[in-house]
Amino acid sequence: MVTIDSGLKDLRAARPRRIRLSKGYRVFQVVNGIVLTAVVVLTLYPFINIVARSFSEEAYIIAGKVNLVPRGFDLRAYRLVLNDELFWTSYRNTVVYTFVSTLIAITLTTCFAYVLAKKHLKGRNALIGIAVFTLVFQPGLIPNYVLVTSLGLKNTIWAVALPNAINVFNLLVMKTFFENLPVELEEAAAVDGLNTYGILLRIVLPLSKAVIATMVLFYAVTFWNSWFGAFLYMDRLDLFPVTVYLRNLLAGATGADFMGSAPGDVVQSAATIQAVTIVLTVVPILAVYPFVQRFFVTGVLLGAVKG
Amino acid sequence: MFHRSRYRTAVVAAGVLALALGACGSGGGSSNGQDLSGNRVGAMSSYNVGDQFKATEALSFSMLYNNHPNYPLKNDWLFWSELTKRTNVSIQQVAVPLSDYNQKRSVLVSAGDAPFIIPKTYHPDENAFISSGAILPVSDYIDLMPNFKDKMTKWNMKPEIDTLRAADGKFYLLPGMHERPWQDYSLAIRTDIMDQLKLSVPKTWDELYTVLKAMKTAYPTVYPLSDRFSKPTPGGNLFNILGSSYGAPGGWGYNHATWDADAKKYFYTGAGEKYKAWVTYLNKLVTEGLLDPESFTQDDDAARQKLANGKSFVISTNAQTLVNDYRPDLAKTIPAAKMVKIPLPIGPAGEVNPSSRLENGIMISKKARESKNFVAMMQFIDWLWYSDAGQEFAKLGIEGVTNKKDSSGKPVLADDVNVVGLHPNASKHLQKDFGFYNGVFAYGGKPELVQAFFSPEEQAYQAVVGVRKPAPWVTPPPAPFTDEEREQAALWETGLKDYVFQQTLKFILGQRPLSEWDAYVKELESKNMTKYMDLVNKAYDRYKQANG
Repeated sequence: MVTIDSGLKDLRAARPRRIRLSKGYRVFQVVNGIVLTAVVVLTLYPFINIVARSFSEEAYIIAGKVNLVPRGFDLRAYRLVLNDELFWTSYRNTVVYTFVSTLIAITLTTCFAYVLAKKHLKGRNALIGIAVFTLVFQPGLIPNYVLVTSLGLKNTIWAVALPNAINVFNLLVMKTFFENLPVELEEAAAVDGLNTYGILLRIVLPLSKAVIATMVLFYAVTFWNSWFGAFLYMDRLDLFPVTVYLRNLLAGATGADFMGSAPGDVVQSAATIQAVTIVLTVVPILAVYPFVQRFFVTGVLLGAVKG
Repeated sequence: MFHRSRYRTAVVAAGVLALALGACGSGGGSSNGQDLSGNRVGAMSSYNVGDQFKATEALSFSMLYNNHPNYPLKNDWLFWSELTKRTNVSIQQVAVPLSDYNQKRSVLVSAGDAPFIIPKTYHPDENAFISSGAILPVSDYIDLMPNFKDKMTKWNMKPEIDTLRAADGKFYLLPGMHERPWQDYSLAIRTDIMDQLKLSVPKTWDELYTVLKAMKTAYPTVYPLSDRFSKPTPGGNLFNILGSSYGAPGGWGYNHATWDADAKKYFYTGAGEKYKAWVTYLNKLVTEGLLDPESFTQDDDAARQKLANGKSFVISTNAQTLVNDYRPDLAKTIPAAKMVKIPLPIGPAGEVNPSSRLENGIMISKKARESKNFVAMMQFIDWLWYSDAGQEFAKLGIEGVTNKKDSSGKPVLADDVNVVGLHPNASKHLQKDFGFYNGVFAYGGKPELVQAFFSPEEQAYQAVVGVRKPAPWVTPPPAPFTDEEREQAALWETGLKDYVFQQTLKFILGQRPLSEWDAYVKELESKNMTKYMDLVNKAYDRYKQANG
């Protein structure tokens, strides 16, 4: 006990000296802390507000009394949305689309990026050029639509999954990452008798978990949130993802565009229903973040900074 | 808003390009003759007003379907099965969310992938597709539609329908038609406050000013009028109904050129004296603290909250928002409050009804003309959308199931069916469970039909406003642009409209003194206002000469 106490005393005694050394830094830290806390509040507030709304009674929302805490606790909106068959159909579609699309996207992006990372590849610059070209010059909406339609992809999952399978930004990040892997590892593997696929599968990929996890997250979030492709290429309600369902619910809420139409036509979906749908749509993808977080920073930085 | 309109322009531009390329390939071979002998499969050989249309063989037509979030499309709706039973026709729907209906319609039409029937199109949206040749000039085929023709003559719809005509003298949209104009939007007022202050319901905009003034005196901290319907168009409703009563509608109803019936000529709306008059009126309201300056920027929820919390007493309304929003809101916050929709206040233009008798309408895809079932399709459309029986079926459903006859023989809603809150405790819903009273199929018609689901209160409102004579500028003489003119006009319109809307707000909010009005008109001239009006007048003269 005595030794520990004295040890602590030593520490305390030692402290001021260190602080004196870093006064400017301490000011920076305080300012930094305040600014970042403000950012956290700014980003979290609308979110918590929506969650609070989803549990509140409609009247309190209209009266503008719901801020951070639900008022007039009410689960009816949840019951209503969860009992809506169409909501679940849309939800299932979103899950399926996201899973399949992400799988395709990550496979194709990894393969392409790995190939592009090989400096001895003939025509490598042309391939990179083609990829970057699509980043700068995008085809118009109509040509895209005509292409997808004439390929017979309309009303299938492929209309959503294939056109966006390779995101060039993600591709370049991955390419840089692969370029920075020590060549010696692959050479050693080759000496040990592995062919190209073996090297990729057994040496490179296990070393690339960070970047792959990051890319999976990027892709999954994008596909989960996307609605335009499905909206454009799907003609049936039972094929729409939940984002289209949600968008129709929210964007329809101001009836201005439809003035003069039949009275039943003016959209009035309750504020609680909107909040509930938003919460239910966002929660799953939000729940994924913490698990991928630890790969996230390393993954992106590895690719970007060293490149 | 800007982003969206730019996007839409891009979509349309891309579409025009795609179609131009396509047209080169196909060489535009089909002549637009009236030879329909190859298109009569399934059609009735004799089909007239009063006949029940029934295809001679089972047919199926593709149709764009505007999916409403309040009653999402179901394939087992009684509407579909009964429709097929009666007409032998089934509809293949291409379901599009209401939120982005117009955009998908643009893509489908431009890509040449549109279904045969394209309903829910508001004039002048169809103009964007005319030059590409993707939609049918339906005016060439109304002989196939006896009910449409019948209503057009019986209700004297010609002046209205003439406003739809393009430069070639044809129209490309089958409009919904009201026998009598139906004015829904007006203002709602807290009558309990008025009773308390011993005020009577204002009949004119000047009386409204007096009422607002008295409210302000009694409640100095309150902005008596705080308005909604300002997104995406600022003052969407207020500028429309107020402007209408001055003969120069703004907001939702803004047209660049408005017809002056007295002077018998078009004037540029945003530069006219009539427009200035109502802008001045609103400026007075703002200056004296009677009108909440946030009215034109806040979203609907903010306006509702102010009303619900007693921070305002007057707000824009239609029959639905009064019953669905304001009254329930107030019942929870200020139970003693009473809210009433007042008959549309009258302005210098006199007792006029500023609503058009035309509704949204149907475009027909050019491809449909080539179909062997084309005639049957036109007969089908005529029956469902334009015959009395079809309109009644689409709105009220089936007797004995969704409706019953009351003592006077008039169909009314069945007791166990709910719609627009008429039978709140009923187990089934006319729209959600049966698919009737669907905005895609049911609109317009005879006043009895339009008012079928009106509350007694709304019927009383219609008894006052409905008898006012139609405003002359609602059916201006046709002045259709040619394709090139429309393209040129569209370029000028964007700049002009943005500027007019922006400056209107500045004048109203007092950010720019009204003494600078003449300078503002000069600025509009530098934005090609005069050239624009020359174009309109040229088109007007041309049409008058060609068509008498």
